[in-house]
Amino acid sequence: MPNQEDFDIDSLKKSWQEQVISDDYNQDEIEVMLNKKSRNYVKYILWISVAEFIIFGIINFIALFSSSFHTDFTSILNKLQIRNQSEVEFSLDKIYYWIKIASLVITGIFVIIFYKNYKKIDVEANLKKFIIHIINFKKSVNLFILSNILLLFLFIGSFTSFIIFTIRRQNIEIDNPTFWGLITGVVFSLLVCIILILLYYKIAYGIILKRLSKNLKQLEKIDSEKDN
Amino acid sequence: MESKQKEFSKLIKNNQGLIIKVSRLYTHSLEDQEDLFQEIVLQLWKSYDSFQGNSKISTWMYRVALNTAITLFRKKTRQPQTDELQDFHSKNFLEDSDEKQQQISLLYKVIKMLPDVERAIVMMYLDDEPYREIAETLGITEVNARVKMNRLKKTLKELMIKHA
Repeated sequence: MPNQEDFDIDSLKKSWQEQVISDDYNQDEIEVMLNKKSRNYVKYILWISVAEFIIFGIINFIALFSSSFHTDFTSILNKLQIRNQSEVEFSLDKIYYWIKIASLVITGIFVIIFYKNYKKIDVEANLKKFIIHIINFKKSVNLFILSNILLLFLFIGSFTSFIIFTIRRQNIEIDNPTFWGLITGVVFSLLVCIILILLYYKIAYGIILKRLSKNLKQLEKIDSEKDN
Repeated sequence: MESKQKEFSKLIKNNQGLIIKVSRLYTHSLEDQEDLFQEIVLQLWKSYDSFQGNSKISTWMYRVALNTAITLFRKKTRQPQTDELQDFHSKNFLEDSDEKQQQISLLYKVIKMLPDVERAIVMMYLDDEPYREIAETLGITEVNARVKMNRLKKTLKELMIKHA
């Protein structure tokens, strides 16, 4: 029957330090390890983030810089029986131009932030800093994606508002099925996009970020505890 | 380059006890334990150039090993149920016949019941690392590291009595 004193942590220190490590590695085995590939969460986050960056960048550029936009837009204007189409197209081109500029500037800024935040991840930093830097790195990617989604929303929103505004100004009958079809299509596509993006984030990052946040909370809790 | 690799592998060989302890404390299977050991060695190798004697070997190794175990490591196996955990410990310490080794085996078992950060505090404390070092490695204050450890001593004693 063990004595209660046997379970005193301070009295176990010596045994802990003198414990026999039976499964140790020799120098050759260690050298072989140096040539193996690392598989870790930061690497995983980095590659997924690079992929997200490229995919969202391409989607954004295709959507904003596509030459088919004018053809599609003219056909929608025709279907809605809007007059003075060249004047309407000119006004929309201006909005379109500024969104393109904003998209390029945002992408440029995020490439710099993305790189800087990645360089800050240093495995020799203390645990708290290390976790914060990984979270910040991921946040910068999330922010890039969010800003791209906002830009697309802004683009679709201004396009829809502009059409509604023109229809009202030109006193066109708005019970045209094409018009309602367009509005329903826009709202439905946006909702599906939001659900898919949220689902993707839950699956791709849920576990990692949950683990990081849990450990960060633990560290903050320890630092907020007072001695009784 | 080759001599640097040799120098590094010699350094790891001589100090591998620390890495093995971390690997055992943060995994629940032998496969994960070996993978974590390898991942820690790789991360140490990557940061070897920036280390080169700028701080104590143990400080550098603790930081990299704990950051890897707590934050970077991707486990292959799922978290086992209590019965499976018991099996893993029995297999791991099958040769532990004497009382001292059985106590260490029990100590590992109860430390692994603690959250990740608390495991790190206990391990560094048992290895006789000063509170200043524990605090700096984890990014908490020295006072709080001390307060936490005092509470953990009671928790661990209770857990050991319960699971003895």
